[in-house]
Amino acid sequence: MKLKQSLLIAIILSIVAIVAWEVYWRSEGLYPTLSDEKALWAKERAKVEKATKNDVVIIGSSRSYFDIQKKVWEQETGTKPIQLASTGSSPLPALHDIVENTNFNGTVIVGVTPGLFFSTTYPKAFPWHRMQSKIDYYRDMTYAQKANYFLSVPLQENLVLMSADEEEWADDIDLKSLLRQVNLGIRTEGIKAPPFYNFGDVSSDRAMTMAKRTVTDTAFANSIIRVWNFFGKTAPPPDKNSTTEYFLKDAERFIERGGNLILVRCPSSGGGRMGENMFLPRERFWDSLVGILPVKNYHFEDYVQFKNLTCPEESHLSKDDAEYFTKELAQIMIQDQAITKLKTN
Amino acid sequence: MLFNSLSFIVFFVVVLVFYYSNLLKWNSKKGLLLLASYIFYGMWNPPLVILLWISTMIDWTAGKRLAVEENKRKRRMWLYLSMAVNLGFLGFFKYGDFLLENFTLMMNSVGVEYQARPMDIILPMGISFYTFQTMSYTIDMYNKKIERARTFLDFALYVTFFPQLVAGPIVRAKDLITQFYEPKKATVKQFIWGLFLLTLGLFQKVVLADTLLSNTADTVFKPRQILNFWDAWSGTLAFSGQIFFDFAGYSTCAIGIALMLGIILPDNFRYPYASLGFSDLWDRWHISLSSWLRDYLYIPLGGNRHGITRMYAALMITMLLGGLWHGAAWTFMVWGGLHGTYLILEKLQKQYLPFKITPWNGMFLAFVTFTCVNFTWVFFRAREFDTAWNMIQSMLFLNPEGTKILESFDIIKVMILIGIMFVSHWFMRNTSVKKVAINTSPWILGIAWTIMFFLIVIAQGSGEQFIYFQF
Repeated sequence: MKLKQSLLIAIILSIVAIVAWEVYWRSEGLYPTLSDEKALWAKERAKVEKATKNDVVIIGSSRSYFDIQKKVWEQETGTKPIQLASTGSSPLPALHDIVENTNFNGTVIVGVTPGLFFSTTYPKAFPWHRMQSKIDYYRDMTYAQKANYFLSVPLQENLVLMSADEEEWADDIDLKSLLRQVNLGIRTEGIKAPPFYNFGDVSSDRAMTMAKRTVTDTAFANSIIRVWNFFGKTAPPPDKNSTTEYFLKDAERFIERGGNLILVRCPSSGGGRMGENMFLPRERFWDSLVGILPVKNYHFEDYVQFKNLTCPEESHLSKDDAEYFTKELAQIMIQDQAITKLKTN
Repeated sequence: MLFNSLSFIVFFVVVLVFYYSNLLKWNSKKGLLLLASYIFYGMWNPPLVILLWISTMIDWTAGKRLAVEENKRKRRMWLYLSMAVNLGFLGFFKYGDFLLENFTLMMNSVGVEYQARPMDIILPMGISFYTFQTMSYTIDMYNKKIERARTFLDFALYVTFFPQLVAGPIVRAKDLITQFYEPKKATVKQFIWGLFLLTLGLFQKVVLADTLLSNTADTVFKPRQILNFWDAWSGTLAFSGQIFFDFAGYSTCAIGIALMLGIILPDNFRYPYASLGFSDLWDRWHISLSSWLRDYLYIPLGGNRHGITRMYAALMITMLLGGLWHGAAWTFMVWGGLHGTYLILEKLQKQYLPFKITPWNGMFLAFVTFTCVNFTWVFFRAREFDTAWNMIQSMLFLNPEGTKILESFDIIKVMILIGIMFVSHWFMRNTSVKKVAINTSPWILGIAWTIMFFLIVIAQGSGEQFIYFQF
C-alpha cells in the first residue's frame, strides 16, 4: 500500500478541485457572503447583557432589519444600535426575551410588519418558532459552537463555496442545496413554494442591506415578490387579540422598569402594500395597537419624506433608500424626543 | 466538540503538534491527552466534566481496592459501589424523566390523582458509553480478569480518551489501558491511514448521513402522517442508512484519530447490513456494545448454561435492556424486544429447520435480514407508537391511499444509495477497507480520497450532532 503516494495525489487533486469549484462559482457572479445564522444573532444578542440606558435595540422582522441601517443610525444618533430583528419572524418572543431575561431598560424599537406581528402566539408556528429558536440557541450555545462560529467567519467572508445557509436559499451552492434543485418529476400534491433566492447581504455586526441584484434585476425582484405572494396566500389568518395581549404585557413590564418602547411601521409598496391594506388594514391593526399602547410610534405613511419610497420587491428598501429612511427616521425621532442624540457633531 | 466541526480541526492539530513535539515526555504526553479530553468534553458543557471525574475516581478507587482485597463480601461491596454510582448516574440523568412520567401514568391509571413536574434533566453527552466503559473495568477487576491500571493517569485517560469518549467504541481496559504503558507514536503509514479513516468517517457522516439521507428520514418520520407505501419505505431505508453512516462514521473517525496518535481501537462495525441472520448482525453492528452486553449481562444472567428456556429469557432481557440503553422510551424497548424475538426465532430455526448457507441463498438471506432490521428501525426512529404503527402499516401496503410526501428524486436517491450500500456490504462482508486498499492502485485510492474530501468540503454540513451522542 503506497499511502504516501495516495495522500500526495489526494492533496494535489483536492486543491485543484476546490480551487476550480471556487473559481467556477465566482465566474457565475457569486461572491462571498456571511450567513445570517443563529450564531450571528446570538453574538448580537450577547451585547444586550451589557447594554446601558443609552443603547438602542431593534427587534422586528425583515423590514426593520433591512430598512434601519446601523451605520447611518449611529451617525445620526451617536449610538450604534443592537440589531436583533429576524427575517420572517414575530418580534413578540424577542421582546419577551429582553423583558424576561435581561435588565435592559434603554430603547427598544419594534418593527411592526402586520403579517408577522399579528400572526400568532402558537410556539410551533413558523414566525414564532423562528424567533424563539434563535433565542434558545443563544441561551444554549456551547463553547464549541462559539468557537466554530468564530472560526467559520473568515472562511465565509472569503470563500464563495462556504455558502451553506440556515435559510436554505434556492441559490446556495452547498451539496444539499444543489441536490434540492434536481427535479425528476413531481409526486406530491399541494401548492409548491416558488424558489426563494437570497436577496440581502449581512455584515458581521448584523447590518443587513439589500443585494444589488434585487434593485437592478427586475426578474430577480419578481421572483422574491412571488414568494411574498405565496406566503400571503398560504398564511393562516392573523390572531390579533392574542398577539396584542401578549405584546402589551411585555411592553408594559418593559415601560414600568423605565424602558423606552417605540413602534415603527417600515415601508412596503406595490402589490404587497395592496395586499396588506386588504387583509391587514391599518385601522384594524396598526391604529388599534398604537391606540392601546401609549408609546411613540411612526408609520411610514404619516411622513411626507417616506411617501415616495418604493421597495424593489414590494417589502424592503434598497440600500440607498434604507440609508435615507434611517436618516430621516432618526431625525424625526430626535425631534419628537423619542430618542436622544448623544453626539452633537 | 464534534469531529465534523472547525473547532475540532484546530483542536486536533494543536494536540498533534504537542503530542509529536520533543518537548514532552510520555507521561506529560498522556497528561496532555487527558487535558485535551476534558477540554473536548467541556467545550460542550463544562460542569458535566465533574461526572466524568466522579466516575473516574470511584472506579479507580474500587479497582485499587479490588486488586488487594480478598474478602468476598468487601469485594462485592466495591463492585456494588461502582455499579451504583455509574448506573445511578445513568438512571438519574437518562431515565429520571422517563421513570417519573411512567410512575405518574401508573398512579393515574389506578385512580390516584398525581401530577409531577418534569425534571427537565440535561442528558450528559455520551454518558451511556463512558459509564459502561468504566464499569467494565471494575467488573473485570472483580472477576480477576485484568490487573489494575498502573497509574491514576493511565486509568483517567482510559475513561476519558477523547476519540472514543462520547460515542465509543466502548473499549475494554485490557485493550486500551495497556497501550498507555509504553510511549506511543504512529508510524508514517499509521498516521496517513488514520487520516484516511478520518476522511472516510467524515464522508459517511457529513455527506452520506447528513446531506443525502437525513432530510428524507426526518420528513417521513414526522408524527401523525399516513403515508404511501413508497414514502414509508424510502423514509425507513433512509434512516437505516443514516444511522449506519452516522454511527459507523463516528467509529471510523475515532479509530482514525486514535491511530494518528499511535493508539489502536477495535472495529465497531463490520458491514452489518450483509448479515446472514441476527446473531451475525450483532457480531457486526456496534460490536463493542453487543460484546459488552454479552459479557456483562447475558452471560451473568445464565447465558446458555441453564437450558433453553433460561437462555431465551436471558437473551430477551439482554436485548430489552440493550434497547433501553439507547434511549428512555418504550419504543426503544420494542426495538430491543423485536431483536430479541428475531434472535430466538433464528435459534429455533437453526434447531428445527437447519439449512446450509451457500453463496446463492446467502444474498437472499442477507436481504431478508436487512428487511427485518428495517422494521425494527421504525420503532427506533419513531418517537411515538402511533407514528411507528402508521409507518409499519404503510410498509405492508395497508394504507393504499396514503399521502405522498416525497418527490421522485428523493425516492430514487434513497433507493440507489441504499442499494449501493447493501451490495457494498455484501461484497465487503469477509474483508476490510484496509485489505481492499492494499490491493488498490495508489492512484485509485488517491482519487477516491479526493472525491470524499471534495464532497465533504462542498457539503459543509451544519455541524449536525452524531445520533449516538444522545444515547
